[in-house]
Amino acid sequence: MKVATRIRRSARVGRTAVQLWLRYKAPAVGRRLSGREPASAAIMNRRHERTADQILKLALSMRGVMIKMCQAVATRADMFPPEFIEKLKQCHDAVPFQPFEVVRAVVERELGKPLDAVFSEFEEQPIAAASLAQVHAAKLHDGREVAVKVQYPDIEDIIRTDLNNMQRVCRIYEFFDPQPLELMPLLKELTTHLSYELDFEREADCSERVLELFSDDDRVKIPEVYREWSTKRVLVMEKISGIKITERAAIEAAGLDPADVVQDLMYIYVRMILAAGFFQADPHPGNLFVTPEGQVIVIDFGLSKELPEGFGLGLFELMFSLMTFNESAMVRAFGELGFRSKSGDDDTFLAIARRMVSRSDSGSFEGEFTEEMTDELFAAIREDPVAEVPSDFVLVARVFSFLSGIAHTLGSRANVLRAMGASTG
Amino acid sequence: MSATASPLHYSEEELLSSGSFREPLFANGVRCHGGFDDEGRYCSPRVLFRNPAINAWQDRLRQGGDTLFEISPDLIPPVHPNVAQAKLLLQNGVREPIVRALTIISIVEGFGAMIRDVKVPDLESLLVEPIHGTALAHLQRGLFEAHARDESGYRDEGGHKQMWEAARDAALENPKIPGDVLMRLMGRRDQRGRRKPLFPEIGEDLERSLGFMANVLVVEVMAAETFQWGIDLLSDPEISAAPEEAGGMVENIRADEKPHVEYLRTALSEVAARTIRTVDGKQISGKVVIDGLLHGILSEVIKNRRSDQRDDLREGLEKAVQVAAHPQRLLEDFDSLEFDWTPPSQTGFEASEAA
Repeated sequence: MKVATRIRRSARVGRTAVQLWLRYKAPAVGRRLSGREPASAAIMNRRHERTADQILKLALSMRGVMIKMCQAVATRADMFPPEFIEKLKQCHDAVPFQPFEVVRAVVERELGKPLDAVFSEFEEQPIAAASLAQVHAAKLHDGREVAVKVQYPDIEDIIRTDLNNMQRVCRIYEFFDPQPLELMPLLKELTTHLSYELDFEREADCSERVLELFSDDDRVKIPEVYREWSTKRVLVMEKISGIKITERAAIEAAGLDPADVVQDLMYIYVRMILAAGFFQADPHPGNLFVTPEGQVIVIDFGLSKELPEGFGLGLFELMFSLMTFNESAMVRAFGELGFRSKSGDDDTFLAIARRMVSRSDSGSFEGEFTEEMTDELFAAIREDPVAEVPSDFVLVARVFSFLSGIAHTLGSRANVLRAMGASTG
Repeated sequence: MSATASPLHYSEEELLSSGSFREPLFANGVRCHGGFDDEGRYCSPRVLFRNPAINAWQDRLRQGGDTLFEISPDLIPPVHPNVAQAKLLLQNGVREPIVRALTIISIVEGFGAMIRDVKVPDLESLLVEPIHGTALAHLQRGLFEAHARDESGYRDEGGHKQMWEAARDAALENPKIPGDVLMRLMGRRDQRGRRKPLFPEIGEDLERSLGFMANVLVVEVMAAETFQWGIDLLSDPEISAAPEEAGGMVENIRADEKPHVEYLRTALSEVAARTIRTVDGKQISGKVVIDGLLHGILSEVIKNRRSDQRDDLREGLEKAVQVAAHPQRLLEDFDSLEFDWTPPSQTGFEASEAA
């Protein structure tokens, strides 16, 4: 990347950061000096909306880490207000793609031969585009249909520059703000996830690991990676077609019961997360399909995560205690999972547990960990002095709330306990 | 709380209420349900009205000339590994398989809480005869909820899940829980796929809820053997660090489980004594349906339960025994303690199936 581009990117990030800081801090200082009450909730909500909008526009024009950062913020309802979460969620769908010539150059450089030497056909229009790569349909010379995931050129460089910029901005912000939001851990986590997602060889390993986990299970379909044509920046995989998992009418038209699809999807994720401790952490509807025979297709293992030993069982205990209204078990599970309160005692967690179990109007959670429950839990964490929320928990909670959203779209419920085989009736 | 006006009709609050305890039950530092009376005897939770209610419903059933069915204890397969085998492993330092087994028992007990999510369809309209003053009329008015709370705890009290964990931790001194517990649990419980309806004529919702209740009843009946196994093993001072506490805890769980078996078999017997309206406007004997469901579940359990347990244990046993001084000899000794069990040829529920 050219030096001028680096400077320009740094300047844009810096300028926006200063604007945002002033937007929040200047009115607060003004009100304090003039003896007025702090800004009302309505004023703060409007301010959050305006800020989130500005950040989204910056991210979509700069791409790279900015998009990833927005996606990361959109998953942290425990730290950021709902206006940020709602607005920045759009980063999942709004990424523009690169022209075919750029893609061709990357593929040829990575494979060390002309495109035609490997593929008999290669669709110029991508079938999907994300922040780090885009995917094209193609055909190998032996006739196999493949999906080719191609990393954007210079993306590593862009990411390095953007991460440095953000680190600087965060340090300056933390220096000046007496009560800063703890952004550095978020940035550190983002850096780790980006390093995973940029390494397509790691992605191939993860994909094969999940394939092995479900090798004897015909409810799941994981695309095979063709290693001979894959590199750190190009991934060639078996192309599997299916119905997008949120398309209820199409699923029903194929003669499938959406409730069965939901239960199989839950089984897959419960087995990965709770039982195996290794999972594909990005179950948005663009990564999940259903074959006409009812198999659930899972793609994109770029963001796959290994959980610490015992985490799956601890997580099960937390979810189970919540679903069975057991506050004391919930408090123990918080501790086992690595949550820490600022006071060091359990009162904070007991208050959160009571708030959570009092949520059910019907006296039942039906084995489900919903998006609303995740939001409520994170709101409770934001309002109470919880010093440390394990980042793995945040990722997993996000996965379960995604799954719950898909289940509701299909008119069903994402029952974790039934997915574990708890109901045999 | 005042005594109820009629022995056949109870409010939800009554069915969930407990007597007073002199001392609450604590297990390994965890507050659990139930407690001890002035004589130091354990008193189960939520039985102040539940037990008399169940007795009254059973009496009414018998007085009406109907049968309160029983599942023969002969159908219960012995637990694998048996007590002698489990003791042998523990005495040789092979703790993992037993810790895993006890942990899985605790989780499965906790799963019993799912009964509160069973949606029983409107039985008043689905059954020809009235259900006023029966266990059936109280399923979703306290009986399911009491059962759920007993199994997985509620609010600040632990239930059977936590009590089994406490017994395990006291007896085996807070052992490390194997990381594959949930994988083994899921592997075992999810191989058989979706069950096809046996009685499509009664409608999916009714069969699902009756099937669930029949299934839980069978699990509860089979658990009798597991309780005895847990008591014999965990109260053995040769392998247990807290024989009295751990064994006593399983005794308490066993006492709590009795009303579960009784209300479920009462409610299912009440269905068997009635006539079910089918979805196409015809009628079918409740006995045919209940016997058919029980026969199907029992046949599967007596066929698979023991082999499932053996396969589960065997899967990791050869690796687990490597911590022993003489692994091969230990395996041979372990196998020599095995005893045969021949499942009965009949479940006792066949006759109506053929009707």
